[in-house]
Amino acid sequence: MSTSLRTITRRQVLAGSAVSAAALASGFPAPAIANSDPIKIGYLPALTGPSSSTGVGINRGTELAVEEINAAGGIDGRRIELIVRDTQSDPTKAVNAVAELTQRQKVAIIFGPLNSGEALAATPLIARDKVPMIHPCWVDQLIDVKKYPMAFRNAPTNQQIGGAANQYVIDVLKLKKVAVVSDTTGYGTASVDAYVPMLTAKGAEVVFSGHIDAANPDLKPDMLRMRSAGADVIMPWSVNAGFLARILNTRGAMGWEVPVVGQTTLGSGQTKALLEKPEHWNKVYSNNFRNVCFSKDGKLPARAQEFVERLRKAKLDMGDTLLWWIALGYDAPRLMAETIKAAGSSPEQITGYWNKLKAWPGVYGDITFTPELHNGFQDDQVIMCEVNSLRDGAFNLAPGYGA
Amino acid sequence: MIESIVSYGLAVGAVYAMIGITYNVMFSASRVFSFTSGMLGMLGGVLGALFITKFGLPVVVGLVLVLACGVPIGVITEIVTVRPVLKSLEQHLYVLSTLAFALMVQQLVAIEWGTDAQPFPRLIPIGPGWLDQQFWLPMLACAATIVGLEFLYRRTLVGRAFVAIAEDNYAARALGLPEQGLRVASFALAGIIGMLAGFTGAEMLLAFFGNQSILNFYGFIPVALGGMGSNRGAVFGGLALGLFQQAANFLLGGIFAAVAVFVVFIAILLVRPEGLAGVSTTRRV
Repeated sequence: MSTSLRTITRRQVLAGSAVSAAALASGFPAPAIANSDPIKIGYLPALTGPSSSTGVGINRGTELAVEEINAAGGIDGRRIELIVRDTQSDPTKAVNAVAELTQRQKVAIIFGPLNSGEALAATPLIARDKVPMIHPCWVDQLIDVKKYPMAFRNAPTNQQIGGAANQYVIDVLKLKKVAVVSDTTGYGTASVDAYVPMLTAKGAEVVFSGHIDAANPDLKPDMLRMRSAGADVIMPWSVNAGFLARILNTRGAMGWEVPVVGQTTLGSGQTKALLEKPEHWNKVYSNNFRNVCFSKDGKLPARAQEFVERLRKAKLDMGDTLLWWIALGYDAPRLMAETIKAAGSSPEQITGYWNKLKAWPGVYGDITFTPELHNGFQDDQVIMCEVNSLRDGAFNLAPGYGA
Repeated sequence: MIESIVSYGLAVGAVYAMIGITYNVMFSASRVFSFTSGMLGMLGGVLGALFITKFGLPVVVGLVLVLACGVPIGVITEIVTVRPVLKSLEQHLYVLSTLAFALMVQQLVAIEWGTDAQPFPRLIPIGPGWLDQQFWLPMLACAATIVGLEFLYRRTLVGRAFVAIAEDNYAARALGLPEQGLRVASFALAGIIGMLAGFTGAEMLLAFFGNQSILNFYGFIPVALGGMGSNRGAVFGGLALGLFQQAANFLLGGIFAAVAVFVVFIAILLVRPEGLAGVSTTRRV
């Protein structure tokens, strides 16, 4: 009897507490004084170190967006305070910065890390500390709604990048005999392993696939093998500008006019600088994004055009970087501000809002999330561009796409 | 195919041979295998591109400056990484000290120069094809190096002093030869040769911080094949390595070419541990 009485008493106490808590949460009005503390947003760009060119470009857009939001009065009168920690392209530094941002600074959201290597190290820790995060890294495993329910991506995945290149080769260029090559890095080998089955499933014949030592100065033997296998397109997967430039230079020296279709580094300034002749960049198509490319008539889409004019007004330099980097950086703080304004700044409110986000109109691309899918970028926004058409940080759509 | 194997193979082999000679010149004077050889090769390319492309200096001035930079770097290597560990050679601490110094310099280059490969200017506009300067320039430099060293070691008093130190350190010192001075001079000379290798091979290998480890590895193979301390052996080993590597590239392709090189290298050392051109020595007990 006494036992049951004690049990009942405990239950009553617990139930009573719950009722009291609910009454406190809902019954009493909030204090009339408006909260004017700034809203802290953690930001983990790589501004220095070997992989920093992307971070430097993205950062221009991020800073501009935060300035604009604060100049317009912030979020209901509260300023955005961007707490920037340069990861220096180093996963260890990113991990240390996460601990500071989540535990000491108590940020509402984290934007970044901006490089996959750092994001792979940082994402589990941000998830453990239950802070919502949004990042633009392409590695597929970085988004997993079960393991990281508060992690979202506002950029394409590697699957989408490879898928767009494959789609361009097979459906637009109508080429069927493909050579797929990579360097011996983890990214390169994983890409070949992932994209070859995708190509085969789409009906292409992969006549050559292999990994090449990027340190090898002479790629002619491998290129001859590709040619004798009957390849009518080469798809190299590497972020090594030296390796890619050697492929293009060897193609030029062999007088082989085969198209080269692949990753964004094909169109980078580093690759261009290593070309023996400018014409070696002809018939080279790299991944890019529909919203920030010039169409056939030489015009950017309206949203991007308006953005470029705003950049010019802000005297932001576009000549040494890429428009899609700046646009991506510009979109993230705007999405965060809109989310906090509409839903609130608690992790659950932010995640709940993002889980229902539909076609949010970014300059870089429209973003849609669902509770099951936190990869926000849409397949049809990833396209290929002509690498030798770069002007003002943007490229022409590759031939074959509609206007 | 044959044309490509010969032209590329001999050119890249000449670079490996010169890096092998760099190892040898430092080894002869100190009995130390200095893993700064690849670093010197890497710096030859990077500094060449810096002086000629970035600073816009004439090619000859650029070359002279690059070679001149090899002197202090060689001397610093000797003072910082070799001299302190000479007393305990049997502990092989030089592996750590020279490698650590080379890695430090490489990281510095990565930070200041960048981690992407950068172009090296075309010095003499002949080509394309096998007449291209990127093929014959390393071969010419290799030939000049071996002829110059043979002349130095056989025809000059200083050169004979180098040989004396290499043959018997104690006896040479007993004769009054300035052992330390000659060692420093050897490291300075190695600095020049390593820089020349990197400079002349840079159009093929590009100005790239990552060349250091490649040159350290592939430059060591000619020394092991040709016999430690033998410059002629290094040239023979380097050219053979270049030709074999390029042939494997054509016949096997991709990453298997590198595997083939190491399989043959290990097989040769199993059969002849003293190297193909080396002389086996009996050890007195």
